Amino acid sequence: MPSLRAPAYERQTIGREGKPSHLPCLERRTALNLEVRAHPGIYHHLSTSYRRLFLRLKNNHTKTLLTILTVAVLVMGSLGVVAACTPQSRLVMATTTSLYDTGLWGYLEPMFEEEYDVELDVLYAGTGKALEWGQRGDVDVVTVHSKSRELQFIADGYGMDRVPFAYNYFLIVGPEDDPAGIKDLTPEAAFQKLMEDGSASFVSRGDDSGTHSKEKAIWAAAGYDYEDVKNAGTWYIEAGIGMGPTLTMAHEKQAYTLTDMGTYLSFKSELELVPIVDEGAILLNIYSVIAISPESVPSTNIEMANNLIDFLTSEEIQELIGEYGVEEYGMQLFTPCAGTEPE
Amino acid sequence: MTELWDGFTKAIELIVSLDPEVMQIAGRSLAFAATSCVIAALISLPLGSIIHFNNFFGKRLLINVIQTLYSVPTVAVGLFVYVLLSRSGPLGGLGFLFSPPAIIIGQVLLVIPIITGLTITALSGVDRTVTDTAISLGASRFQAATLLTREARFAILAGLIMGFGRVISEVGLSLMVGGNISGFTRTLTTAISLETSKGELELALALGIILIAIALVVNITLNRLQQR
Amino acid sequence: MSNAQPIIKTTDLGQRLNGRDVLRNINLRIDRGEVFALIGPTGSGKTTLLRLLDLIDSPSQGKVYFDGTDVTESVRQRLETRRRMAFVLQKPVVFNTSVYENIAYGLKWRGMSRDNIRSRLDEVLEMVDLADFRKRNARMLSGGEVQRVAIARAIATEPEVLLLDEPTANLDPVSTAKIEELITNIIQRYHTTIVMATHDMSQGQRLADRVGMLLDGEILQTGDWREVFNTPQSREMANFVGVENIIDGVVQSSENNVVTIGTDDSVIEAVSDCAAGEQVHACIRSEEVTLALSRHSTSARNTFSGEIARIITTGPVARVEIDCGFRLVALVTKRSVEEMALETGKQVYASFKATAVHVIRQD
Repeated sequence: MPSLRAPAYERQTIGREGKPSHLPCLERRTALNLEVRAHPGIYHHLSTSYRRLFLRLKNNHTKTLLTILTVAVLVMGSLGVVAACTPQSRLVMATTTSLYDTGLWGYLEPMFEEEYDVELDVLYAGTGKALEWGQRGDVDVVTVHSKSRELQFIADGYGMDRVPFAYNYFLIVGPEDDPAGIKDLTPEAAFQKLMEDGSASFVSRGDDSGTHSKEKAIWAAAGYDYEDVKNAGTWYIEAGIGMGPTLTMAHEKQAYTLTDMGTYLSFKSELELVPIVDEGAILLNIYSVIAISPESVPSTNIEMANNLIDFLTSEEIQELIGEYGVEEYGMQLFTPCAGTEPE
Repeated sequence: MTELWDGFTKAIELIVSLDPEVMQIAGRSLAFAATSCVIAALISLPLGSIIHFNNFFGKRLLINVIQTLYSVPTVAVGLFVYVLLSRSGPLGGLGFLFSPPAIIIGQVLLVIPIITGLTITALSGVDRTVTDTAISLGASRFQAATLLTREARFAILAGLIMGFGRVISEVGLSLMVGGNISGFTRTLTTAISLETSKGELELALALGIILIAIALVVNITLNRLQQR
Repeated sequence: MSNAQPIIKTTDLGQRLNGRDVLRNINLRIDRGEVFALIGPTGSGKTTLLRLLDLIDSPSQGKVYFDGTDVTESVRQRLETRRRMAFVLQKPVVFNTSVYENIAYGLKWRGMSRDNIRSRLDEVLEMVDLADFRKRNARMLSGGEVQRVAIARAIATEPEVLLLDEPTANLDPVSTAKIEELITNIIQRYHTTIVMATHDMSQGQRLADRVGMLLDGEILQTGDWREVFNTPQSREMANFVGVENIIDGVVQSSENNVVTIGTDDSVIEAVSDCAAGEQVHACIRSEEVTLALSRHSTSARNTFSGEIARIITTGPVARVEIDCGFRLVALVTKRSVEEMALETGKQVYASFKATAVHVIRQD
């Protein structure tokens, strides 16, 4: 049962100026530096007395020995730091950027670690990259959001079961004045209009991520070959970067873009972009967790990966996922769906 | 401009308050860079000496290659180390990927050419007569080489400073083989990269300023050492 | 210790550098305890030869024997032998550390204990008069002090052979005198065998027992200084040892080792075993030429009358050039110049003994 009393968790949920606090989620592993703060003069004291000792030693032999010793201590010390950083038990998870940037994983990670006494290493990347890591066995489990690719991944034998655990919706966001006039159209119709109009800019992730997959799916549903879209004109911009920077780019260029809800909300305050199209079955965005198959890569940590799946679909955590961000953004970021595919 | 100013004040605030998270990331950056430089130096100094003190076919070419590798892209080294350490790779069994050893291996590979090359340059910069004098005073080849290294120590130290600057400021490699895991492989540069992508420009700037401050302190320390 | 065994011997030693024969056919014997000066102009190969003797470089031909053993090949043996010698290079460099550490290096490399090094260095620093400088960084010293550090560094190892390459080149007269005094002290105190290279004839004269004349990579003559000085064996050597009067001629007659040499319009008598008809150079050192105002006041065999062409006075001596059919230079005291009222254009009689003429066969 995860505890919510630890101050680090609280700090992560309390954002500054209406945004999630990024600083606290940077770090929280050891308490070493707290001791440093308690004795600010100790290093100075140590270094001067060491130096005095050093200078007093006239015997060159001892001096050489001390120098060797110092170097040795330095090397051992740094190796020690490295060793201390290497935990006994690790579970390596790759998550899609949107779950990371919204701070959800920063929030859930310590709870999981405490409950299962394990170090959870969270890597963030686009869905494509996360699946590639999984395929190579560099991670034990992935949380991603591109159904077709996930199914293919499992069919290829790299993943075990696909377990959906939360969903929300993608949005088409754009400038408030809606230059292409696509407000309240269906996503497919909106894309058709963008293509026909050919004047309003659209920024695509262009990075093989889950969001990018979704965008391609919408183009297909709208009746276009994606290759044609790519070559349609200068209005179609392939960014090749993460969701956050893509939103920033769309803001700078006053362009439309497809975004997940979570990232949009966390960036909203810095953007002059508003939701233009937010309804349509095709916009459904399902996050699922997949353990990497131990048959494809023998070293996979399948037991702990299954623990993570149990953890994510447990009642308490599902509830926390549902509540995450409500306080901060005034609306739900993720809808929990423990193991069942939302329709 | 306000962003730059805010970044600056935030950096001061983080330093003055000894913010635990930032201090730990900074400490980690320093530890990784220092470890890499020490390990690289242990390899590069003898290697540089061996190359300098021996004449062999292709020596000139080898030195050219080493000097070219000064500017090898960090992501290229990162990719190489990734392929090496990936579980599907030849050294996958070590389980080093996405952990500090991976970053250190990468950084060591990254600076070996710099420290080796600058060691060679430093040794060639010493008056030829020094070697002759040492040999005439009865030094063996090894003793003469040790003396020459000692004579070139300031220039070699400059090479170490260059190497340190390269590793503490590199981001591509750490991100690729370290994975920027919070509390584990997150360094100042990867944190800057993350905060930038999250739009936290002030914090990113502040971390950048802290990075420069660390580099400055290290350089001043080493330079003082040099003057002694 | 056997005096019969030379400490250094070379046979047919030659060195070819950058496609040029820098040294040829060097056959040298250095006896234990002697001070040998290699004298020759700049570029004659002195440094190259010293480097070969100290086993720093390997010769392109010939062999070096140290104490009777051939030490030309084996690397190990070369190092061990080198450790029995010391070499002060022409432009000595000091290591970037204290004077003390500089001098201690040679001993450290020989594995001497710190305590022994200290007591040894106390003595050496005293001897080179650098005791007050022991802690100072050697890079901060003047040229003369650097040279002293270099010599101290060399003698600290108590070498059996000390090699010095132009020990006073580029030094001011005061420093030069100090270094020469130091070398004299070393010779007296340690009886070290010394091989020194110098381009300064007089330095060789002051310090060496024996000199070797090196010209264009060949040793033209070795021997006692006086011998080399007075009886050079070639025109070049005569020139180099400072013979100012070299007169070309042909031997006209020879009787009981007394020859008459005909020059353009004079005849010179000399002591020599040359036969009639041989082409020779007659060498007369300027200090052997005496001047008189009348013909009868000299008993010398060779007397020539002539007109003074030029007088150059330097310090207590004067160099008087006389035109007596050929050009003859006489070295006289300044006092004589005054007493005889010598001046340009004055008629004088210049004379020198037959034994003062050194006859060299022309090639």
